[in-house]
Amino acid sequence: MPYYGSEETVKELRRSLSNPNVQADRLRYRNVVLKVIRFMSQGLDVSALFMEMVKASATVDIVQKKLVYLYMCTYAALKPNLALLAINTLRKDCTDPNPMVRGLALRSMCSLRMPGISEYIQQPVLNGLRDKASYVRRAAVLGCAKMQTFQGDTEVDGAVVNELYAMLRDLDPIVMVNCLRALEEILKHEGGVVINKPIAHHLLNRMKDLDHWGQSEVLAFLVRYKTRTEDEVFTILNLLDSFLKSGQPNVVMATTKLFLILSEDFPNVQMDILERVKGPLLAICTSEYHELCFLGLCHTREILRSLPGHFSGHYKKFFCTYSDPNYIKYQKMEILRDLVNDENVQQILEELQTYCTDVSVELAQMAILNIGRIARTYSERCVVILTGLLGLKQEHITSAVIQTFRDLVWLCPQCTVTVCQALPGCEENIQDSEGKQALIWLLGMHGEQVPNAPYVLEEFVDSLKMETSATVKLELLTAMVRLFLSRPAECQDMLGRLLYYVIEDELDMAVRDRGLLYYRLLQQGVEEVKRVVCGPRSDPSLDIISGQANETVNAWTKDFNTLIPIYGQEQWDRLTAQKGDSLEILQLSAVKSDETGTNPEQREEMVLDSGSVRLKTSAHLSAEQFEEHWTRLEAAKVVTLDWHKDPSPDAIQSAFQFVHIQSVAISRRGAQLWKAYLFARNETGSLFLIELLIAKDKGDIQVTIKQENSSEELLNNFTTVVKSIIQALDERLDLEYISVAAGEECSPN
Amino acid sequence: MIHSLFLINHTGDIFLEKHWKSVVSRSVCDYFFEAQEKAGEADNVPPVIPTPHHYLVSTHRDRIFFDYFGECTEAAIKDNVVIVYELLEEMLDNGFPLATESNILKELIKPPTILRSVVNTITGSSNVGDQLPTGQLSNIPWRRAGVKYTNNEAYFDVTEEIDAIIDKSGSTVFAEIQGVIDACIKLTGMPDLTLSFMNPRLLDDVSFHPCVRFKRWESERVLSFIPPDGNFRLMSYHVSSQNLVAIPVYIKHNISFRESGSTGRFDVTIGPKQTMGKTVESVLMIIHMPKGVLNMTLTAAQGTYTFDPVTKMLIWDIGKITLPKLPTLRGVISLQSTAPKPEENPTISVQFRIQQLAVSGLKVNRLDMYGERYKPFKGVKYVTKAGKFQVRT
Repeated sequence: MPYYGSEETVKELRRSLSNPNVQADRLRYRNVVLKVIRFMSQGLDVSALFMEMVKASATVDIVQKKLVYLYMCTYAALKPNLALLAINTLRKDCTDPNPMVRGLALRSMCSLRMPGISEYIQQPVLNGLRDKASYVRRAAVLGCAKMQTFQGDTEVDGAVVNELYAMLRDLDPIVMVNCLRALEEILKHEGGVVINKPIAHHLLNRMKDLDHWGQSEVLAFLVRYKTRTEDEVFTILNLLDSFLKSGQPNVVMATTKLFLILSEDFPNVQMDILERVKGPLLAICTSEYHELCFLGLCHTREILRSLPGHFSGHYKKFFCTYSDPNYIKYQKMEILRDLVNDENVQQILEELQTYCTDVSVELAQMAILNIGRIARTYSERCVVILTGLLGLKQEHITSAVIQTFRDLVWLCPQCTVTVCQALPGCEENIQDSEGKQALIWLLGMHGEQVPNAPYVLEEFVDSLKMETSATVKLELLTAMVRLFLSRPAECQDMLGRLLYYVIEDELDMAVRDRGLLYYRLLQQGVEEVKRVVCGPRSDPSLDIISGQANETVNAWTKDFNTLIPIYGQEQWDRLTAQKGDSLEILQLSAVKSDETGTNPEQREEMVLDSGSVRLKTSAHLSAEQFEEHWTRLEAAKVVTLDWHKDPSPDAIQSAFQFVHIQSVAISRRGAQLWKAYLFARNETGSLFLIELLIAKDKGDIQVTIKQENSSEELLNNFTTVVKSIIQALDERLDLEYISVAAGEECSPN
Repeated sequence: MIHSLFLINHTGDIFLEKHWKSVVSRSVCDYFFEAQEKAGEADNVPPVIPTPHHYLVSTHRDRIFFDYFGECTEAAIKDNVVIVYELLEEMLDNGFPLATESNILKELIKPPTILRSVVNTITGSSNVGDQLPTGQLSNIPWRRAGVKYTNNEAYFDVTEEIDAIIDKSGSTVFAEIQGVIDACIKLTGMPDLTLSFMNPRLLDDVSFHPCVRFKRWESERVLSFIPPDGNFRLMSYHVSSQNLVAIPVYIKHNISFRESGSTGRFDVTIGPKQTMGKTVESVLMIIHMPKGVLNMTLTAAQGTYTFDPVTKMLIWDIGKITLPKLPTLRGVISLQSTAPKPEENPTISVQFRIQQLAVSGLKVNRLDMYGERYKPFKGVKYVTKAGKFQVRT
């Protein structure tokens, strides 16, 4: 059997598959099919055998059927025409007396990813929903969701949705959960499945019958349920209490989130819940599975945001074992850092100290930085430890310690004396630029307390030619000038040499400019230099105080049991900011014709000429995105126009849509303060956001326009378009006229 | 939800893939390989990796593979690729997990046995169960209706693992017991069991199989449940108050590197303590020596040792500790002559097991059965093992 060279292999396989002798022998036939699957799973392209494989699906052998269906699901998208041939077999299997075959066929049919399949699968799926075997119903329910994906954004079939809602009462628990999953997907654009009181109570009663996957999912759906009364909240809490102690981490997490959100208004209850979940959460944190452990630690940190002392009594659970992977050790160290209090500080510091000599350089440095953080509260003990570490004379350790010292001196000036005593001799063990920067900064800032400071800096000055990092050079310049002010006699010559070199020989512009800046500053006289270089500093204590403020529990409950605690809010925002666009593209290219769609030939982009503004016929902007843009952008134009009538949302929406301005949100008729938000994109990618505002008793409408990537001229044109529509609407003109008016107003001069 | 699954072997080949929600190109795994390269060791790869369109979650579970094939290796998966696909197909649909309990899966797809594979080869029949699992249709979702046995048996395995960190001087930095009770229940009909302990207050935090009636545990501290059929984990618990955790072995160690010269001394002795008269078996010591170590010349008073100069792993397989002779391993460490004396001290990981002992002192008092008339055969087995048991030097 040739392993490489797919063409040969495919030919060989085709020969066997179409050999009548093989086909007659069930076993041999199945083995050939199996061979095809093996190649497929190794990534070899065997799609050329599609025809033969379709034939092989007409068999009574259920294993062979499964294999062929697996094959078809993989390659159907590549061979849509041939895959249609297989549909008949699949449809026939959907009426097989064996429920396993029915379920299998239905599931596979719905997984054929090819256009135009939905008309064939609709009937079998609907039949499947009423099948007497729960196995088939499970597949059919999810089939509804898959069907929706094929159809894209066409109308949601109300009948199917109703049927699925009704099937939430199905006897089989998995069918019920699948219904929720399917509805969630089908109703994605309408905010997902609605959890009202009867549904919520039904789900609560069924919780006990579900497996843990189902439980965690139902709990997640229940988060949407808005309880009416206090009693209801406590009934739910009581009902689900045992799930807080479930053996399954996913159920524990989902229950915790639900409980915390339910008891939003009862801080005492929340504290109680967090106290009760301590045990299960710690069990997750010490789980034998690394990834579970990691997730548990991330969520522990989330809780510590609000309750810094919550796990203090259990700090030993967060001691790192040798076999923990680094990502777990990092989390544990940061938790240990946060758990420090008067009683355990000694033990925690001793523990962190042992990590400082770890084989892994990053880990050791991280441990040192964490000791540095603790030093902000327990400075004396920590400085002793850190100074002791300098004695090891290891490059990476010294560098990290010096960096820690720099931050510490800045935040806790009382340590300065001890730190300065530890500095001499360190320069021999520092090679990396971050460490050098920190050392140079310290020597410049507190050089008057370090006897040999000028001589250490002199070495740096002398080896400047070899220095590659521009930031080190910049740091050196500043430090040198500072030290010159406190110890002029020893530094004058050195500073001169440094400035001479930097101005004459340095190639890096930033360094040279900085050199020139100091040179000219020095020409202004020493007093002036002192005023500039040693001017008052910002007060660091403000930052510490704000950094330690405890957040409320409600600040993070919504993100609990999601990916956010893993990355932290900031990084998550950054991740989703990149992804937001691309996900949007994915979603839209499947759903709508969008300007960034990947298949331009499939969707013709009609740019209707509404004057020189050239707005796009179709654009999409979610309410969230709108809000984000709106808050970010400055108002570009605010116009006030006459307005005399009660605004009708429909008329306004359709009028604006005529010139391709889309609405995001409109107040209902008769609101006290009537508002409408609209937006439009033009061909060159400019984005316009509009706010219409009518106060009830005033006779005018205020139009605020914000814009992104646009020019003055475009904005003016756009404003005239908007104005003309509003005027036209106010004069009760019909829509045809508006469009003509808009066209005339904005046509290029 | 899960879009795709890729199985990757240790050389970085994707040897199996399966797609549910949508087909994701296998090139997405490049993000994983990149992270792996950055992390250096395979263990250090972060468990969740963001990519532009998806999140990659790397995880490792092998229970079902063990239940089916007795091992979880690339070869086993490749040999049983059909069953693996069948299982994956039943476990997830459209990316949602459906059935992951091996009891339920085994009813859908029968595990291969030598006999069955011989029969299958001859007759061409398959491993697919002819009947749908009925368990999920009964009122008790975890137990199927109409179970029948000729021998009615109920076995419980109490397994306790000691996680501990012992510092240089031999004092315990951290110690905790993680215990589980696994059950193997083969009982006819719908038995309702009650299991009580001699000392249930010992247990710190417990979590149960869904079959256990939580309210009764809260009020009476007994386990009352209608068991699933076959093997399952009844409960897991922790004992973390440190004075309750007995450390069953002690280690005397002297690992030192000479300031000048390129040698060091190695001397490790292990002995039992607080074992309540039981023998410590299957003792194994793993020491990750510092990078500067070239080789080790040792003599073991008991057992065999190996040192891998590439990974710097010293493994000493000791076996049973029989008093009064204490196993020792001593000798000379040879170091790279040019490198400075290693600063870090190696950590000793120890493995061991003690039969017939639950180190926490947990004891099952009695097991009562209601709802059925026959007399079942009952048994409890205890075993204590080392979990993450580490001694710092």
